Amino acid sequence: MSDTEVMASGPADETAGDGDRCLTPAMRQEIEQLCRKYPRKQAVTLPALHLVHEKLRHVPRRAVVEIAELLELSPAEVQDTLSFYGFFKQDAPHGDCRVWVCRSISCALRGGEDVFQYFCRRAQVEPGQTTADGSLTIEVAECLGACEQAPCMLAGNELIGDLTEAAIDRFLKQREADS
Amino acid sequence: MSDFEPVLLARIDRPESHRRSDYEATGGYATLRRALQSMTPEEVRDEVRESNLRGRGGAGFPTGLKWTFLPADHDGPIYFCLNADESEPGTFNNRILMEHDPHQVLEGLILSCFATRSTTAYFYMRYEYPRAWKRINDAVAECYEAGYLGQDILGSGYSLDVVTHRGAAAYICGEETGLIESLEGKRAWPRIKPPFPAVQGAFGMPTVVNNVETVACVKHIVERGADWFKSIGVPADPNDPRDAGSYGPKLYCVSGHVENPCCIEAPLGLTVAELIEDHAGGVWKGRRAKAAIPGGISMGLLTASEFDCPLDFKGPGRYGCLGLGTAAVVVLDETVSMVDFLHNSCRFFAHESCGQCTPCREGTAWSLRLLERIRAGRGRLQDLELLLQIGDSIGIMPGTTICGLADGAAWPIKNAVRKFRSEFEDYIRRTNPDGYDVTDPVPALDWQATTPVP
Amino acid sequence: MPRVLIDGQELELAPDERLNGIQAAARLGIEIPHYCWHPGLSVVASCRMCLVETGKLDAETGEIRMLPKLVPACQTPAIDGTVLVTNSDKVAAARAMVEEDLLLRHPVDCPICDKAGECRLQDYYFEYGHERRRADIKPFHSRKRELGPTVRLFVDRCVMCSRCVRFCREVAGTAELMVRDRGAHEEIDVFEGFPLENELAGNVVDLCPVGALADLPFLYRQRVWFMTPRPHVCAGCATGCSIWVDANQDRIHRLRPRENPNVNQYWMCDEGRHGWEYVHDTARRTRPLRRFDDGTLTPTDWESAEAWIIERFRQARRPVLVLSPTWTVEEAYLAMRWFGDLPGETQFVLGPIPQTGDDLHFPKRRGSAPPASPIFTISAEKCPNRLGVARVVESVTGEAPVEWSEAIERSAWQDVDAVWVAGGQPGTSFGEEDAAALESVPVVVVHALFGGVLDGVAGAVLPDVAFAEREGSYVNRNGWLQSFAPAVRPPAGCRSMGQIMWKWLERHGLYHAEAVLGELARDLAGWAAAAPPVDPLGVALEPTGSSVSAEQSEEVVS
Repeated sequence: MSDTEVMASGPADETAGDGDRCLTPAMRQEIEQLCRKYPRKQAVTLPALHLVHEKLRHVPRRAVVEIAELLELSPAEVQDTLSFYGFFKQDAPHGDCRVWVCRSISCALRGGEDVFQYFCRRAQVEPGQTTADGSLTIEVAECLGACEQAPCMLAGNELIGDLTEAAIDRFLKQREADS
Repeated sequence: MSDFEPVLLARIDRPESHRRSDYEATGGYATLRRALQSMTPEEVRDEVRESNLRGRGGAGFPTGLKWTFLPADHDGPIYFCLNADESEPGTFNNRILMEHDPHQVLEGLILSCFATRSTTAYFYMRYEYPRAWKRINDAVAECYEAGYLGQDILGSGYSLDVVTHRGAAAYICGEETGLIESLEGKRAWPRIKPPFPAVQGAFGMPTVVNNVETVACVKHIVERGADWFKSIGVPADPNDPRDAGSYGPKLYCVSGHVENPCCIEAPLGLTVAELIEDHAGGVWKGRRAKAAIPGGISMGLLTASEFDCPLDFKGPGRYGCLGLGTAAVVVLDETVSMVDFLHNSCRFFAHESCGQCTPCREGTAWSLRLLERIRAGRGRLQDLELLLQIGDSIGIMPGTTICGLADGAAWPIKNAVRKFRSEFEDYIRRTNPDGYDVTDPVPALDWQATTPVP
Repeated sequence: MPRVLIDGQELELAPDERLNGIQAAARLGIEIPHYCWHPGLSVVASCRMCLVETGKLDAETGEIRMLPKLVPACQTPAIDGTVLVTNSDKVAAARAMVEEDLLLRHPVDCPICDKAGECRLQDYYFEYGHERRRADIKPFHSRKRELGPTVRLFVDRCVMCSRCVRFCREVAGTAELMVRDRGAHEEIDVFEGFPLENELAGNVVDLCPVGALADLPFLYRQRVWFMTPRPHVCAGCATGCSIWVDANQDRIHRLRPRENPNVNQYWMCDEGRHGWEYVHDTARRTRPLRRFDDGTLTPTDWESAEAWIIERFRQARRPVLVLSPTWTVEEAYLAMRWFGDLPGETQFVLGPIPQTGDDLHFPKRRGSAPPASPIFTISAEKCPNRLGVARVVESVTGEAPVEWSEAIERSAWQDVDAVWVAGGQPGTSFGEEDAAALESVPVVVVHALFGGVLDGVAGAVLPDVAFAEREGSYVNRNGWLQSFAPAVRPPAGCRSMGQIMWKWLERHGLYHAEAVLGELARDLAGWAAAAPPVDPLGVALEPTGSSVSAEQSEEVVS
């Protein structure tokens, strides 16, 4: 029988303590401009999260507070939305390249699960985690909508289909060559 | 097989098919010009209504009819949401359209907005389509340059803005009110209806939500007329006044265990067998088919002996499936374990359930846990009864949930367990010889999470 | 008149009534179980417990056409011709399914859960649930999470009804609570560094239909089946929330809001909710004191203390009665009678009137959004009956009483030879300058709960009763009068102003506030509406148009 755990939500401690802003002036300006495209500021939540996530590879809690201020929301409201989508990283940035390997039915039927296991083994990283050198994050995704190329994965902005172990080897080799 | 001249996919092999210049060179935006100059919004709407175009996003609701639910004399903005959240497993036709012929989509969108007197269109696209995102954004910019968007389009007095909006990997954002909630910046918990979006949708205003392929069809209906559209597909049953027919061309996706996974265009009514044999090169590796998903995984399963099922709005229902859905066929060959199939399906729905309403949130998680215990060799025959009870009790059809995700989660369970009952029973008996006939509850598997994160 | 048919029973509704299926069925005594619906919050229909069969009755043909699928009763308007079926097998199966679903991952730790005895999960399990568990037996898992200084979340007991989140967004306007993650992983949480801290936070505990949310001051104090709820009125401020006092053997353990559409809807503030501990403080005075010749305040008995006080006031040429804004109108009325009948020229002073900050309106406004019309207001005036007491004085004398703050400034205290002062509740205490002003008065009688700064100048001190021990009526900031009986008995030796005056006026038997209210309603102009019996939710007094009438308030009064 497991014990009850006490989990406290205490004061934020992830800021460096020097009160530095997380959002750059350029980001803030972009968010303010986006506000003009929607009748309500709250609608800019998702675009603002994407904006920050794209630049910082995660959305630190400090950024959530700042986005909330800009959009006249409480931080909880922004976090509510952020956490609904498994997409946004929060505690640490994702790797230089974020790879999503599809695990839905069309890819699974054509060996997607095995390719994924192979990939994690070769890259020496646990599913969902980032490699030690911070270069690669490997995650699962649900149907990427490229079933004609199953099994497939999305590496950053590039869709790579017809995956095989050889294709994975090529991919890793190419990254090594590029770096 | 009759040769059908593609309409929606007519241009996708052209090397510059995504550019406005290429689109205009093949007659693009002429229809928009004509409609804005010589038709009223209601005339465009009525043409679409007359065509009996049914939504291509999965629900198959008659588009023109949906448009008539908007208030006639609304004093304020009307919003159009283009649903490009395509996330139904097996489905990728919207992606093809957006990547290869974005202007066809945009012309259809602008015409649809004109017909509904929409003032702003939000193009909501799933995150996982970066190429389509780039192509559509470029195409939108080209449209503004050419005066097809913005103020006083082509001097018609009609103004429209398109705002592209990117999703964040959540299947439920494809549900129309889930999309609206996501657009508004909240978690995508679908809304209860009434009120319907046409009355009170995005930002409290009348709103229309339509699929990418649907608006592409609109372009061609306005161009060639409702009669042309109705000359394609399966006519309505004259004895059934509520049958809206299955008209027009349809994009079919076929994937899984076929030689040539692809997206093709054919009149509605193509059978599963025809799709597999005539367009996808048959079952792969010389094997035989065991089953097929008829329209995206939500629709359930057809056995191989049911491949004569016509893929129109009535066919799959007659074979015990949920419906036509996205017309995305996924083929399973004879080596596939139905237990593995169902596990994949249950895992998907448990992951994607928005969690708002009790039967779906708990039912999808419970069904996944059952499948995981079965696959771990600790299943009971009793579990099959539980799975069927879960499947029979969740969904908007019995009325127990807010949206249709639960029906989508339920149908693969019902079809797989009912149509392949003996396979499930054999599996359970074989893998759990000592415990398959236990009827009392058994200890749960070790971990609490229904599915490992991510 | 719209007619609705529920389980074969007919219900007639008033033409302007807007009820849903749950409310309409309740009128007929039919319970439709539900978790997420609440009359004070938006309708989400997400728990699915209130599913019923619905249809339409054709008034002309008498034919009933039922919809093939179930519909939540909370989102079904009860309009003319609505038919509801709540007792069919289909409905029973749906309820059992929802109940089973909620228990799948629930720890079922009732023995250590505060909510036991008033928990919908428990109640509905017995009424509507499957008898036996069909799902796997899972390891026990019950986590705690502090959401704020007074609210704890027992995470795994939560049924995701989202009432607490909606309350913070729609009523409080502070939106500290959120749902996080998706699907079966969803949990209630706050954002780190932004705890649940608004002035209405405690209401989420009332709202929680299960034991997920706990009020820390009440946690583990008392089982609900030992407590008896008694209707009362909060004495914390001029809003005058209707409340329930949950007590066991004259010990208060909890206060909760009592539904009153004319005053507080379904809510009360935390200050009122948690502000009762002093009632059982052992430092309370329970014996009269008198300053004898040795100069110290010495305990004595009521009879001799009263005799001395009465004699002094009868001899006084300029007696002063300082009425307390914490008195009931009945006490004020009796006091006016007795003190007004004195040989001397009695002056009437009202106060002090404790004020803290400004009125707080909810929902709180956020950013540049236009302010919403207030659902709830915490009054800056931290006493329950300034309006009522002032009106009594004016009705009797024709003049408004002098306010204490004004009276203090006047140096006329030199002529005063006897003053009666009520020490009131904590927070209405007097300060050094007040004691200084009274120093020159030969006879100072203090009627209070606790010792205080006035003791130094008092010739006699009498032990008072606390708000929950009082009976009588308050008039709130909007002129709304509510009557109440004592919820708990005071410690032996404490007497209310009403009890003291009743005896001094030589009325027969025990003090009975309702009789006084009847007298008051009969004899004073403008009080007729208060004639007993007063509706449990109260009654509006006619506006008097005088300076003591109700302020203009934007508060929603339905």
